[in-house]
Amino acid sequence: MIRPTLLMLHALGASGDEWRQVRERLPDYDCVALDLPGFGAAAGQGHADVVTMADQLADAIRASGAPACILVGHSMGGKMATLVAARAAAGEYGLSRLLGVVLVAASPPSPEPMDEARRAQMLGWCADGAIDRDAAETFVDANTAARLPDPLREAAIADVRRSAPEAWIAWLERGSREDWNADIGPIAMPALIVAGSDDGDLGEAAQRRLNQPLYEEAEVAVVADAAHLIPYEQPDALAALIDGFATGLAASVLPRAFADLLGSARVSRRTRAAMLARLRPPRPSDWSAAQHATIVALTGQILPDLADADDLARRVEASIGDGGGDGWRFDSLPPDRIAWVRGLATLDTVTGGFAALDRSVQADWLDRLAAGEVGCDDDGRHLSPAQMALWFEDVRAEVVRSWVALPATMAAIGYDGFAVGGDGPRKQGYVRTQADTVEAWQVQSEAVA
Amino acid sequence: MTGTHHDCRDTVDAVVIGTGAGGAPLAARLAAAGLSVVALEAGRAFRPDEHVADELAADIYWMEERLSGGATPTAFGSNNSGMGVGGSMLHWGAFCPRPDPRDLQLKTLTGEGADWPVPHDDLIRYIEEVEGFTGVSGPAHYPWDATRRYAYPPVARNAAAEAMARGCAAIGMTATDAPAALVSRDREQPHFGQRQACVNCGTCHQGCRNAAKTSMDTTYLPYAVAHGAEIRPGCRVVDFDYDDRGRISAVVYATGEQQHRQRCNAVFLCAGGVETPRLLLNLGIANASGQVGRNFMAHVATQVWGRFDADMRMNRGYPSSLISEDMMRPGDAGCAGGYLIQSLGVLPVNLATGLARGAGMWGERLQTTLRGYNRMAGIGINGECLPHADNRLDLADETDAFGHRKARVRFSYHANEQAIDRHARRVMTDIWQAAGAQDVFAVDRSAHTIGTCRMGEDAESAVVDADGRSFEVPNLLICDNSIFPSALAANPALTIMALSLRTADRFLTSRP
Ligand SMILES: Cc1cc2nc3c(=O)[nH]c(=O)nc-3n(C[C@H](O)[C@H](O)[C@H](O)COP(=O)(O)OP(=O)(O)OC[C@H]3O[C@@H](n4cnc5c(N)ncnc54)[C@H](O)[C@@H]3O)c2cc1C
Ligand code: SF4
Repeated sequence: MIRPTLLMLHALGASGDEWRQVRERLPDYDCVALDLPGFGAAAGQGHADVVTMADQLADAIRASGAPACILVGHSMGGKMATLVAARAAAGEYGLSRLLGVVLVAASPPSPEPMDEARRAQMLGWCADGAIDRDAAETFVDANTAARLPDPLREAAIADVRRSAPEAWIAWLERGSREDWNADIGPIAMPALIVAGSDDGDLGEAAQRRLNQPLYEEAEVAVVADAAHLIPYEQPDALAALIDGFATGLAASVLPRAFADLLGSARVSRRTRAAMLARLRPPRPSDWSAAQHATIVALTGQILPDLADADDLARRVEASIGDGGGDGWRFDSLPPDRIAWVRGLATLDTVTGGFAALDRSVQADWLDRLAAGEVGCDDDGRHLSPAQMALWFEDVRAEVVRSWVALPATMAAIGYDGFAVGGDGPRKQGYVRTQADTVEAWQVQSEAVA
Repeated sequence: MTGTHHDCRDTVDAVVIGTGAGGAPLAARLAAAGLSVVALEAGRAFRPDEHVADELAADIYWMEERLSGGATPTAFGSNNSGMGVGGSMLHWGAFCPRPDPRDLQLKTLTGEGADWPVPHDDLIRYIEEVEGFTGVSGPAHYPWDATRRYAYPPVARNAAAEAMARGCAAIGMTATDAPAALVSRDREQPHFGQRQACVNCGTCHQGCRNAAKTSMDTTYLPYAVAHGAEIRPGCRVVDFDYDDRGRISAVVYATGEQQHRQRCNAVFLCAGGVETPRLLLNLGIANASGQVGRNFMAHVATQVWGRFDADMRMNRGYPSSLISEDMMRPGDAGCAGGYLIQSLGVLPVNLATGLARGAGMWGERLQTTLRGYNRMAGIGINGECLPHADNRLDLADETDAFGHRKARVRFSYHANEQAIDRHARRVMTDIWQAAGAQDVFAVDRSAHTIGTCRMGEDAESAVVDADGRSFEVPNLLICDNSIFPSALAANPALTIMALSLRTADRFLTSRP
């Protein structure tokens, strides 16, 4: 299994070091913990505004050699993570390797809820330059549920004191107040949103209100006995959540060369966004367990050599559930969703439970189905033999269409016809069209893991 | 590109409904003659570079549900129906053979089908004008018509075309570079701007992103706008108002929740072979003949596929770059009319759907064939379909978002179509085997939405006359794929555009 690289962004007054304990608990992952300008080792770089930091983050993704990555953004870092996720989901060049986002007590892209007296107090800390020890202690202790063990507490305090005052001020006065929501549609990228049980302004309620609605699919998890500095406070729990999330996305990892091509300037923004949306795990659907089992079995018969028939079946279910259709249907069948419900019921009735049958027995039934020999009376709950033959044609078409349209399938069959023109004034197309000629940029057929 | 704004209360000279092959050229012609023209289009407007090189994400198809039945149901959606400023020309394949003179006189020559009330010379004059205005690429010498010339050299052949050339040569058939409605060199298109040379990207059916392919939004519509026409996207025509003489006085259309009325002196209904008859049937007009919706035709479009030893990558290149007209009259087929053969390059989803539906495949064979996508190539035909009164479009009980009943089309091959299909399978299998293909198999398919409001000599047997005028509603004209009395073996769009210019000219000369 290829594991995505974790790109980690720290909170205000912290540095990449805040992730040390979490990283130790994720030994199988490549982790890159950045120091944002004005913090940690980059304290000497003065400060950067939100857009500049987001641009730097996007550049870091482009520059990383990783075939796939996940952004993990803590507090202030969460704002940049969401901004870059939105850009990636919209198809921005070079960001197609970004598979998902973990937000940890994250600041939203809209103004961060913050008590004005507290803001004033924090600004006051650097009125005379660097933040002193008392102030740093106050800050660290106020953001943890219980006092941190000494070595960790000292590290956290040292990071606060290292922060460039202009970076500290820039975030509190500007960055945290900027509102970017208007630029962000529902982000079609999986997100895990983590909140500390004892956090204040950025606790669970704020996460559900300010961050979750920005993502099409976002799961919220609450870490017990933690306030705001979760990476310090509960590294075990946080590492386990990140690992679970990343493992769930492993199937979205594309072969390296294919991912590079998809991210390249040969692909237009709209095309890339459409393909990336299909890279996401299937949406949950409302089919029953029995219906799902039958659809999985049918999928496995139609395409016997699938890495994950369950995943494809869920995509088919989501597509039928949408009711979008393909512009037509057979006139003797009811609307798609109803036809599927009845077709599945008929199949289970005549076979006495299709999913449980031996594969070869299933195949025999499908032969008879296609020949129009199998069905029930059209009693409003089932389909007749003639209808079943047509429905089975629809099922085949839907399953195969869903499979072929997956970026992983395109990679596996060596298809690169999406990379024929970016957003520049001249589209690239193909120079060679004859048999047995391949251009240097073309991906050679490559098996998916 | 929307043009001069006309107020809805002003009575404009002409409202054009639909901006595809039938609507756009006549809108341009009428506007150039100084008429006030408003074109209403249900779909949205696109810039060429907005098109998406992805089969599922392309958003230029008419996706509202239609019901399809009969013994050989035809597929709609991305198979044959466009929506947007430019109509189906946004996604057409740009394969543009000219109609054969014999096909326009099928009834006289064979006793089958129907004759066209439009003389071939007349049609060809307009076709040459369309070709000149839009720019067509093709061979220097056309084997089946010595007089023909194309403005641009042919585009590069792709692997499927090379294979077809090889196979045809081996069995003694003639094949050559196909006439393609695209520019193989950069071209300045009047009132649009630069149309860049075809870059062999292979995504014509998803919309051409550099305007190399002829589409109405890059040719006739900018010309129409430059001459004062107004194009209103997102306007769905749902009804008409009439005056006391039975003439249409206003066109009623919806934009979202709102309804509007555009007053007008004449209406050109160009909504395509399905939506045109459907609107008339829903409104119950122009159908005293009972012919609206009848004689639905779809070309026999059988394909033959095979696997090659070579790396074909058939998605590269203009998809249908080779043609053979040798089978326009296959002497031994036992059918009236004939068929054209073209090489095929299709994208993966299209192939997959064809295998699953048209070839009835599933299981190991299906998956292995698809995994071998880069070694597959095919050829296909466009074959005559005769008008049959029982192949018809009528209305289903289900309604759409506008309260109109959905279209239901029942289509069955009759003996003539079956004979063409049989013959073509044999010939194409021979070609493909001679070209070195293995595991050769056929895919059933029919294409295009033709007939349903046919033109003819009299009000009993036709919906419109040879000039596209309704026999019943005096200021209603129809021009699109629905007015074809017979299918013609040639793919339809070039003929529709030519008829469109002709309809406009006849209308202009008949004006008081
Ligand atoms: C995949 C594909 C490939 C093709 N390839 C070729 C080819 O290679 N060669 C060829 O000759 N032909 C080809 N065709 C066929 C060709 O595109 C059509 O024959 C031609 O465009 C039909 O023109 P039309 O004017 O009849 O309808 P259309 O071009 O479809 O235009 C009808 C327009 O009317 C609009 N409309 C419908 N109802 C309403 C309403 N109520 N109110 C407002 N607007 C409405 C629609 O949105 C649409 O824009 C292909 C078609 C498809 C789908
Ligand atoms: S193959 Fe040529 S005509 Fe077709 S879409 Fe590409 S550039 Fe346009």
